[in-house]
Amino acid sequence: MKRIMKNITITKSIFLLLLITTFSCKDYLDVVPDNIATIEQAFHMRSSAEKYLFTCYSYMPSHGSFDGDPAILGGDEIWPRSNNLYRNSIFFDIAKGYQNVVSPYGDQWNNMYKALRDCNIFLDNIENVPDIDSEELLRWIAEVKVLKAYYHYYLIKMYGPIPLVKNNIPIDASPDEVKVTRQPVDECFDYVVQLLDEAAPDLPLEVVDPASELGRITRPIAVALKAKVLVTAASPLFNGDNDFAQLKNHDGTVLFNPEFQKAKWDSAAVACKEAIEVCAEGGFVELYKFIPSLAKNYSDTIITQLSIRNAMTERWNDEIIWGDTQSHTGDLQKLAQPWNIDPIYGDTWGCYGILGAPLKIAEMFYSKNGVPIDEDKTWKYDERYKLQVGGEDEKLYIEKGYTTAKLNFEREPRYYADLGFDGGIWYGQGRYDDSDVDNLLYMQAKNAQRNQTDISRGSITGYYIKKVIPYENMTKGESNYSYTDYPWPLIRLADIYLLYAEALNESEGPSDEVYKYLNMVRARAGLGTVQDSWTNYSTDPNKYKTKEGLRNIIQRERLIELAFEGQRFWDLKRWKRSSTELNKPITGWDIWEKTNEDYYVSTFIWNQQFGLKDYFWPIKDSYMEQNTDLVQNLGW
Amino acid sequence: MPEKFELNYSNKFNFNKCMKNKFFIGYDHCNHIKRILLMMKLTFFFCLLGLMSVSASVYSQRTKLTLNVDEASIYEVLNQIENQSDFVFIYKSDVIDCDKKVNVNIKKGIVNKVLDNIFKDSGVKYEIIKNEIILTTDRNVLNKNRTNVVIPENRIKGKVTDTDGKPLPGVTITVLGTTRGVITDNDGTYSIDKVNPSDKLVFSFIGMESQIIDVGEKKNIKVEMIEKTEELKDVTVVAYGKQKKESVIGSISTVRPAELKVPSSNLTTSLAGRVAGIISYQRSGEPGQDNADFFVRGVTTFGYAKNPLILIDGIELTTTDLARLQTDDIASFSIMKDATATALYGARGANGVILVTTKEGKEGKAKLSFRVENTFSMPTRDVKFADPVTYMEMNNEAILTRNPLGETLYSDDKIARTAANENSVIFPAVDWHDMLFKNYTKNQRYNMNISGGGKVARYYIAGSFSQDNGILKVDKRNNFNNNIDLKKYTLRTNVNVNITPTTELIARMSGSFDDYSGPLDGGSGMYNKVVHSNPTLFPAYYPVDEAHQSVSHIMFGNYDEGTYCNPYADMVKGYKEYTRSQMTAQMEVHEDFKWITKGLSFRLMMNTIRNSFFSVNRSYNPFYYALDYYIPGTDEYSISMINEDEGTEYLGYNEGDKTISSSFYLEAALNYNRTFNKKHNVSGLLLTTRKNYLDANAGSLQSSLPKRNLGLSGRFTYSYDERYNFEFNFGYNGSERFHEKNRFGFFPSAGVAWNVSNEEFWAPYKKLFSKFRIRATYGLVGNDDIGSSSERFFYLSDVNLNTSSRKATFGDNWGYSRNGVSVSRYANEDITWEIAKKKNLAFEIGMFEHKLEIQAEFFSEYRKNIFMPRADIPVTMGLSSAVKANVGEASSKGTDISIDYNKSWNNSMWLSLRGNYTYATSQYEVYEEPEYKEPWRLHKGKALGQTYGYIAERLFIDDAEVANSPKQNFGEYMAGDIKYTDINRDGQITQADMVPIGYPIRPEIVYGFGFSYGYKHFDFSAFFQGLTHESFWINPSSTSPFNNQTQVLKSYADSYWSEDKRDVYALWPRLSPDVVENNTQPSTWFMRDGSFLRLKEIEFGYTLPQNIQKKIHTSLFRIYVSSTNCLTFSKFKLWDIEMGGDGLGYPIQRTFNVGLNISIK
Repeated sequence: MKRIMKNITITKSIFLLLLITTFSCKDYLDVVPDNIATIEQAFHMRSSAEKYLFTCYSYMPSHGSFDGDPAILGGDEIWPRSNNLYRNSIFFDIAKGYQNVVSPYGDQWNNMYKALRDCNIFLDNIENVPDIDSEELLRWIAEVKVLKAYYHYYLIKMYGPIPLVKNNIPIDASPDEVKVTRQPVDECFDYVVQLLDEAAPDLPLEVVDPASELGRITRPIAVALKAKVLVTAASPLFNGDNDFAQLKNHDGTVLFNPEFQKAKWDSAAVACKEAIEVCAEGGFVELYKFIPSLAKNYSDTIITQLSIRNAMTERWNDEIIWGDTQSHTGDLQKLAQPWNIDPIYGDTWGCYGILGAPLKIAEMFYSKNGVPIDEDKTWKYDERYKLQVGGEDEKLYIEKGYTTAKLNFEREPRYYADLGFDGGIWYGQGRYDDSDVDNLLYMQAKNAQRNQTDISRGSITGYYIKKVIPYENMTKGESNYSYTDYPWPLIRLADIYLLYAEALNESEGPSDEVYKYLNMVRARAGLGTVQDSWTNYSTDPNKYKTKEGLRNIIQRERLIELAFEGQRFWDLKRWKRSSTELNKPITGWDIWEKTNEDYYVSTFIWNQQFGLKDYFWPIKDSYMEQNTDLVQNLGW
Repeated sequence: MPEKFELNYSNKFNFNKCMKNKFFIGYDHCNHIKRILLMMKLTFFFCLLGLMSVSASVYSQRTKLTLNVDEASIYEVLNQIENQSDFVFIYKSDVIDCDKKVNVNIKKGIVNKVLDNIFKDSGVKYEIIKNEIILTTDRNVLNKNRTNVVIPENRIKGKVTDTDGKPLPGVTITVLGTTRGVITDNDGTYSIDKVNPSDKLVFSFIGMESQIIDVGEKKNIKVEMIEKTEELKDVTVVAYGKQKKESVIGSISTVRPAELKVPSSNLTTSLAGRVAGIISYQRSGEPGQDNADFFVRGVTTFGYAKNPLILIDGIELTTTDLARLQTDDIASFSIMKDATATALYGARGANGVILVTTKEGKEGKAKLSFRVENTFSMPTRDVKFADPVTYMEMNNEAILTRNPLGETLYSDDKIARTAANENSVIFPAVDWHDMLFKNYTKNQRYNMNISGGGKVARYYIAGSFSQDNGILKVDKRNNFNNNIDLKKYTLRTNVNVNITPTTELIARMSGSFDDYSGPLDGGSGMYNKVVHSNPTLFPAYYPVDEAHQSVSHIMFGNYDEGTYCNPYADMVKGYKEYTRSQMTAQMEVHEDFKWITKGLSFRLMMNTIRNSFFSVNRSYNPFYYALDYYIPGTDEYSISMINEDEGTEYLGYNEGDKTISSSFYLEAALNYNRTFNKKHNVSGLLLTTRKNYLDANAGSLQSSLPKRNLGLSGRFTYSYDERYNFEFNFGYNGSERFHEKNRFGFFPSAGVAWNVSNEEFWAPYKKLFSKFRIRATYGLVGNDDIGSSSERFFYLSDVNLNTSSRKATFGDNWGYSRNGVSVSRYANEDITWEIAKKKNLAFEIGMFEHKLEIQAEFFSEYRKNIFMPRADIPVTMGLSSAVKANVGEASSKGTDISIDYNKSWNNSMWLSLRGNYTYATSQYEVYEEPEYKEPWRLHKGKALGQTYGYIAERLFIDDAEVANSPKQNFGEYMAGDIKYTDINRDGQITQADMVPIGYPIRPEIVYGFGFSYGYKHFDFSAFFQGLTHESFWINPSSTSPFNNQTQVLKSYADSYWSEDKRDVYALWPRLSPDVVENNTQPSTWFMRDGSFLRLKEIEFGYTLPQNIQKKIHTSLFRIYVSSTNCLTFSKFKLWDIEMGGDGLGYPIQRTFNVGLNISIK
């Protein structure tokens, strides 16, 4: 008994000890080891800092994406077909006039401000990185400054005056500190330009290693972007606009300067000229020309068509100043590619051909004489919907012997390079020898014809966006669409030439310098000079001689040259022409019909409506509620 | 199945036969097992043949024995008799001289003859009870033989009986402090020599209370042994212990486990309406996914964890573990509701605690009971769809009504020919629902437990098996089963061992195992696919035609590129298997510290849980065929394969989730309980706990770190004269989630109770009001589970320095890419415990001598420090994750009432009525949100779980009305779309026009009532359950016809807006091939009242009369039939209303059940 008692006593003592020890160790709850990842660690060495640099790039908006870029489906340039097969992108709802404040389509407010915070974190910390050489350090800082400028610029394009994020607000800031306000739009542009000016000198003229660096910011990109920013700032939407003068902060700050300032155009012209020079230094000397390989035999007509198409779609061609490597174009190509294009291979699933160009876009292109079709003395504008049979002369444009609308005849090369249509040539896709037209591909797009056999595929207007599709793409059988991806061209040389022409005309009026850059673009498109064309063919032969007339010509030239490249949407806005252009009905051919007589009828598709408020995005309701110091854009 | 079952047991019995002949001392355990097994055989024999048992007394007369032995030992003779018959001999080895040689020569004689023969003049007496033969000493013979025996001095004689006066053989009588002792004879008598008057005799018997009797001058001591009473009867399980029921102050609902018994293998489905204080509802009927949601007294937080803490034998477990518990294994089921009841669980108690203890073995004979149930299960209500012709017509209408120029999908010809049932291959009209689902399915459940034990050790062993089948069809051409087949096994052993007189060791092991095989997409997935499958584009599969004679696979139908959903193909193309197992091992040591001071005891508990889960998919890629052409007017058609590249005939393999986790828990407690002067009862508890949890598949470094809690808790109670009770509790808990400075939280609580009916002045009322007691408590409880596991370490930032979501790529051929950096949480050292302040006031009323018991509780709670995102940080800050803080506050109040009435009549009729009612409503007190101009948008004062939405007036009459009404900012809309009210009259419909609509999505009122009635051997019970104050929303996006091939709900087809019939109050707005965003906004249009009342369960049982049971050796033999969800009262007809907004999933089941429950003692 005694022994048992003794045992029990020992056991009990152990129990008591346990009771105490279970609670005593405070460290028990310290489960977190050292070396948990922190932001600071990103700047401990070059290789991790590089990841932060790439983080800043990763916020690039999805340019050229039908569901990421409002410039693709948000305007009047491309009209998609919506049906069961393909759910439309929300950006198409902007085009249809359904933009709203509750959940704005294409809202970038949140994403861009996140990007700006990361850019600032990078700029605040990058100098702590020990193992980075000073040249690279300066280059990285400059790159991020350009990105910071671009993200601000993107917000300005969308929302107008915005709160600038020059420095990050600390996370533990008081509620009053975080309530930022919108800044006058001129200050916004100034800050963007300031950033670009700071950055440009530290950037390389061209990337050192194209295999790993193409797409990174270079000095030509910085100066070209600056030219674009300044032209935008000088454009009617931001320069002397009275419509938006009412937009004021709660404290009365006027956000749009209602006074027109010619100086804005002057500095824009200077910046454009500088951009052209720096670009030339960086190797962007002249516009792209297609140079055929020796093995193949190309006619001049086809060479011109390919020069036009490839300027956009050939990767890193001589004209691409800024290609956005974060934006891929594969999906856009699939949506644009008409199906069943090559009768040998037949159906190709994965191609939809549902992107169409409205008739007004087809009519925008010049006649073969390089002037608008309604201005061309030799072009019968009134008969444009009448029928005509393709002849020998046009065989590289229209299938010989095939009947199509007169609208498709006698147009400029860019018409045939950019658009596909019933009876029109679809050059390439495995068929390259243009000496044998029977070998080439031509579209047959009326109902129940080859390219329109499937009720859920095909353009709603009858016009296809050929320009975005590289000519060497192939459709080989049902599930085999081989396409070549290319980075979305954000800035190419023709864009800068046309900006220069535009700014110079606004600043100094028509001059040989203006004509020179305009004509370089026309020449590549296979057209005569602006002077010759208007003098000889236009019903308004002196149009190019006045500032207003030339402005009109430059703008049209720009819309044609940069068609389907995501520019028209923004250009119409800055020219304040959206309210004219986007209030016209969308029309197309009557694609349900099978006969020429029934098919070639201008058919109503949609009545677009564009109000003043639509020039700018609404700021999301809930953002306005979070920060009561923000003011909403007019009309929303 | 039953046949198989029986077979197993009879095998076991045969095996046991060889054990038959053993020497037993009295009624030994082995003997019981033997008897039990024997009885089991009989029982099953009975069950199967349905015959009345052959009267056992007849057995001895009928059984003829043939023995022919010379000079054989008695032992051998007995052996032979046992071999020839079912007789069993029971005897004490010292009574009979087994080695004595005898000669027997009997042909076809009855057993008496044999026994008379061999025991002649040996002083051995035999008694035949059924087929047991008990051999004892015949005192008369012995006395006759030993007349000269001197009766020793100090002999004590006597008889031991049970409370009914029946003699108890085998009772041990020892002299206290010595090892001397005797055992009572078959007639309960005993005699013991050399007993001094100062000695004390100890009478002990298994299952009976031991008695110690002073000998004194007595020579004959008669003892009546009393059965050990079940301890739980008048004690209540409280946090970390037990208290006498009448001294409990905290608010604890206890449920008799039998009330939770439903014909389902998921315990959680039975909670609704059975337990006062539980808000519960079930949204899905899919085996394995059918856990009900339940909350203690509703929800008072909008933070992360809302569910109560679930403790099974003190182990923190999950809802699924609770679901797998067998009601037969449950000793007690309690819900801790207020601060006093839960304060000790400071770390997690804020949302209430569900505490379950499992049965332990009791001293006594082995008791075996088992239960077999066979259930037919079928949906309570199936969703109905429009027929295929209507579908096509409406689809065409949907396209044209939105766009007059649109192209229709179905030609008039196709519609007409489909309507004429022309050729189901060319013009398919598939009833996918019928293709995929059966009308009913069968489920089985078996469980058994055996318990018993002796002085030293007691055991409880239980096992169960259930098989739940889904309602899916299986294609005979596959050799695998794609229907849901969920097998659940559980095993539980609880063993209590007394190591020393003061030390008890308890070892508990339990395992719960699920083996699942089912469709790849799960049951709900299949139901959803049926909803989103076009009924007219293609048949489920094409018949083998001449061109495809050689095809060895099923030619599934599809359309276009083969990307359409063919649910039949998806169902039969493969199957998924998963296995879940959970093992828990637990050890407890209880030590009585009375050597220090009386009433002090100590307990140590350790347990560990290992959990594992894995799943595997096996499937082939179906070959799809589409119609190429057909010749109108004939049945000629051609089909061809459309996915040659993707299809396979062989099964592919895909590994699924694998999760493993482990936890360890240690608890040490010091307990003190003592009554002074019979009036002052004092008790105290001091307890420490620590818990560690590890997850193998946490997904990130931070989540992978162990989850830990550390706690020190205490309780002090004082009661005076069973009239006044006081209690003070505290929990001091630490959690690894918080920064050092906020790591520990202190949660005190206190309560008082006054038992008014024990006061003298109450005596006059005692007859009517047998009990009247008032309780009140107030206190704090904490909760550290305030954020998801990915935001666990609030005081650290969570940075991913290598994330592909922030990747960038460069190079002429995209040759160089680097991942980026992202922040998913910003550090905040101030984050701390969520704290609940709880108040409770309760009345316990007993009337008519406790026949009617009413318990009414009124509670309120104020929750603060609710973790929520800050609202005043605008997005221009550019933060990539929300900044959150302990800023939210919420309150709730409500009541729960339970009423019980029990009465029994002399003529063996009894009735019990019970009902309970829970009402819990909550509201936001502090909710960070923008300073809205519109007061109706502010959350403060609104119920938690309140839905905000637009007020739908009706459908637009025409486009003119659309043009002249406030602009609705949700994309395209036209006549026939929903018109919303412009609440703030600013000319457009924006979020500012959203108002609180309807009741919360969690019901505020849950109630249940029912009765049980018994008359003689029959019993009948019915239970109704209902809930109200709940709203739900039909999901307009997922039911939107044609979008994503969605079928048309029959009720939509019956009532929708069309241009011809402009019904502005139609159920469904203007048709559209797509989802019309305007119509899918949260609004009153699709809001429905979630109230319902249903006949949750009805049961009819028959128990065999005692006299028959005696013959078949059972203590309980009951057959019953029952049904769940057989009747539902609600206005909502689209689907079972309890599923709320999830009506397109796997339907809730109605079951019909046949069960058998047998206990053997």
